[in-house]
Amino acid sequence: MAPPKGGYAPTLDKFLDTLKGRPLEASIESLVSLLKRRQIQGSEPCALATAHILLQVVVMDKYTDVNQLLARIQGVARRLVAAQPRELVIGNIVRRVLGLIRDEALENRNEAGSDESISSPVRDASPPPMSASVSSLNEAAPLAKMGRPGLMNALTRTQSMFNLLADPDTTPPIWSTGASPAPGSGVSTPMADPQSTDVKALRSEVIDGIEEIMDEIRQVDEQVQAYSDIIIHPGDYILVHQPCKTVQRFLTRSKRKCTVFLAVDPSAHPAEDPYASFRKSMAATGSVVVNIMNTGLMAYMSRVNKVILSARAIMGTGSVLVDGGASVIARAARELGRTVIVIGGVYKLSPDNQIDQETATEWGNPSKYVNYSDGRMVGQVTVKTAVSEFVPSELVNTYITNLGAHSRDHLHAIVNDHYKEADIEFDLYGTIRK
Amino acid sequence: MSAEQNGAPAEAVPKPTEAPKDAPTETPKQAATNENEKASKEAKSGADSKADKTEPKSSDAAGDKKLTGAELKAKAKAEKAARRAQQKTSKEVAKGEAAVSSSPGQLGPSASEVKSKGKGKDGASAAAAAGRPALPKAPPSAVVTEQKIQIPECFSHLSMARRIPMTQADKDVHPSVLMLGQQMATFTIDESITRLKATMLAFRKVIESYITPPGNVLARHFTPHVLNIQIEYLTACRPMCFSMGNAIRWLKLQVSKIDMDASEEQAKKELCQAIDIFIAERITVADEYITEQGAKHIKDGDVVLTYSRNTLVEKAILYAHSTGTKFSVLIVDDPYEQFGQQLAKTLTDEGIKVTYSGDFGGLRNHMRRATKVFFAAEAMFSNGAMYARAGTCDVAMTAHELGKKVIALCETINITERVATDSLTYNEIDPERSSAAAFRLMFDATSDKYISLLVTELGSVQARSAPDLLRKLEEFN
Repeated sequence: MAPPKGGYAPTLDKFLDTLKGRPLEASIESLVSLLKRRQIQGSEPCALATAHILLQVVVMDKYTDVNQLLARIQGVARRLVAAQPRELVIGNIVRRVLGLIRDEALENRNEAGSDESISSPVRDASPPPMSASVSSLNEAAPLAKMGRPGLMNALTRTQSMFNLLADPDTTPPIWSTGASPAPGSGVSTPMADPQSTDVKALRSEVIDGIEEIMDEIRQVDEQVQAYSDIIIHPGDYILVHQPCKTVQRFLTRSKRKCTVFLAVDPSAHPAEDPYASFRKSMAATGSVVVNIMNTGLMAYMSRVNKVILSARAIMGTGSVLVDGGASVIARAARELGRTVIVIGGVYKLSPDNQIDQETATEWGNPSKYVNYSDGRMVGQVTVKTAVSEFVPSELVNTYITNLGAHSRDHLHAIVNDHYKEADIEFDLYGTIRK
Repeated sequence: MSAEQNGAPAEAVPKPTEAPKDAPTETPKQAATNENEKASKEAKSGADSKADKTEPKSSDAAGDKKLTGAELKAKAKAEKAARRAQQKTSKEVAKGEAAVSSSPGQLGPSASEVKSKGKGKDGASAAAAAGRPALPKAPPSAVVTEQKIQIPECFSHLSMARRIPMTQADKDVHPSVLMLGQQMATFTIDESITRLKATMLAFRKVIESYITPPGNVLARHFTPHVLNIQIEYLTACRPMCFSMGNAIRWLKLQVSKIDMDASEEQAKKELCQAIDIFIAERITVADEYITEQGAKHIKDGDVVLTYSRNTLVEKAILYAHSTGTKFSVLIVDDPYEQFGQQLAKTLTDEGIKVTYSGDFGGLRNHMRRATKVFFAAEAMFSNGAMYARAGTCDVAMTAHELGKKVIALCETINITERVATDSLTYNEIDPERSSAAAFRLMFDATSDKYISLLVTELGSVQARSAPDLLRKLEEFN
């Protein structure tokens, strides 16, 4: 099931390349199938893909007011979550974006109410009006293809042309594709004008906001690294389970000499070492990396000082979604009182409260260990392979995100900082919930 | 001379602890005194008859004779004590050897260490090494050629199986032992109890083909000159398991018990018989009984969880199925060895419903479904810890957490008087999966608090009571 490296297999990068030239609906559809086929997997790629597709929705879709946009995003979100319900970061990003839109809408409404003429020039000062209107023209083309009524099309054009000649200070030119006036809402009458400016402003703010989220995701590794010297002490024996890039960089950052026990994916072929570069950079600082070819790691625990797990998602309650097999390690560590540290960006912090953690184990590809050519196994034995599972919160000591190191009790506060009540309660799962 | 060399074999083997070191140095003395006493006894018994009439040859004998009644008694007592001491030392030697087998240092990874130790011994106790100059050299050379595995320093005290080319083995190693060594080194014969059985059968062959050199007695010559060479070779191929240590100690005791006056034929026959009985009692019948007892714990509607494959557990499950119990089996496997798949096939062929999980992902979910957990112990330590396939501890811990009954099956021959506080006290490094960058332990020690019941052929007890079983066994013998 694992896609071959390189070649024609779709990846996140390839998906992002196609985003530009494709109509929105096609992009969503393609992402949904990529998620379903687990061709985009892992929390960071999923988070980035979600952010990108939501950005496209905000950019390309038509809506006249905030509620339409929210509804539209919620609709897309449900489809994404249905495609990969166990990847909680998708829901996280969606909720972040929803919250962002709500914030911006609130801000805009306040501004519109108080003093529009002052705020808008400030907002529009940065982008050069010419290029903006050119891009708006370009933007209009695909929209026209999507079956806009001719009249509307003409109107849009006119509006753009008007913008071109008009004083840039008075009309906000960015993204002024005129997607705002929906049919039947009193097409671009002067009455609708303040509202449409509203949407335009909102759009640009939301786009900025989403881009900030994407930057945040990309910067997690770097920011988390800063805490490595606090955690890693010279001579430590550190056990990591299938470390993601974040954890790898966290470990390499500290120049202290330590021994890293690496619990690798047992199904991986011994010849190919996904951690080769990690091993190399650790060796550069004099640290030793040892692959541990055991699944039960209790035997090593008497030696290990710290266990570092990479989170797929962190719940507000403190339990952590991890790769299959890491839960046992956390339990073993706890049994002997070893420190268990979970590392993951804040975007992995999930406000989700609908998941039953006891049953939320994701079962996946059974051919990981049992060959399909083995008839007796395939025919008679039920084979189960867990892809991800939860680590109960009581097994974890510390959580490290790009915002710092947190205790379990502090997570709720961070959740509340990042998500709005209304979005936390929004049922992403819709009908797919069992 | 033969007495002199009684202690030699243990001497040649580098020892990790102090105790065995002392034992062999004492042995020759004690054995010698024993010999002397025996000789003097013979002389005396001969002399006793004429004691009253004839003059004593030596002043010593004269002294003996003067106090006939009480003296005789004292003499007998002393002799008995000496014999007991000898038995004890021989026991200790065996113990020492067993300790050497699976304990730190001796089979440690660093070739230089082994070598230097061997050399040191050569120099120190020339007498011991003189008899077999070839032996200490053979294993190190094998080490040098084969061992490129870099073991992390923190595990350097653990031992590892090595493939020693047959050509490098001592010339006196019996062919059947030679083959067994290879099978052990390649893990073809893997489980503790099968290794034990194979070893005993091979030793039986060795005894059968043994011919006492002229001027020697079997009881004195066999252990140091034949048996120890076999043991050393086997240990070099793969560290001995605890049951082998126990059995070898037993065998040496049997050899030493043989009557000096018995004919060679008679002695060999007795020994072979003893081995047959040992195998029957401690392995065959024990297995059957444990299988039955274990199966009794499986009830209708149970979901039995087991980890990887073990013959004893497999037998118990099959037995329970054959008695008509309806239950299903959940196999959690070690993804690196995948013996569980073999078990899954065996069980499904018999019509048992099997669920298989290739690794520890979702172990909690599986455990929640399970009602009972079965393991088989590779060995039991006297602090109640169970030595078993690496990963057992994790499964047992999860079971304990969820309140499931954990049943460990174990023959009493696997119980050792040693204590392991963690998994790194005694362990073995897997030579096949360890390399410059990778490392694998073969066993782990499961604390007694995770084990609900220990089923042995002497009854089902708490794991902590393992040493009581040992004491019980000693009473039997």
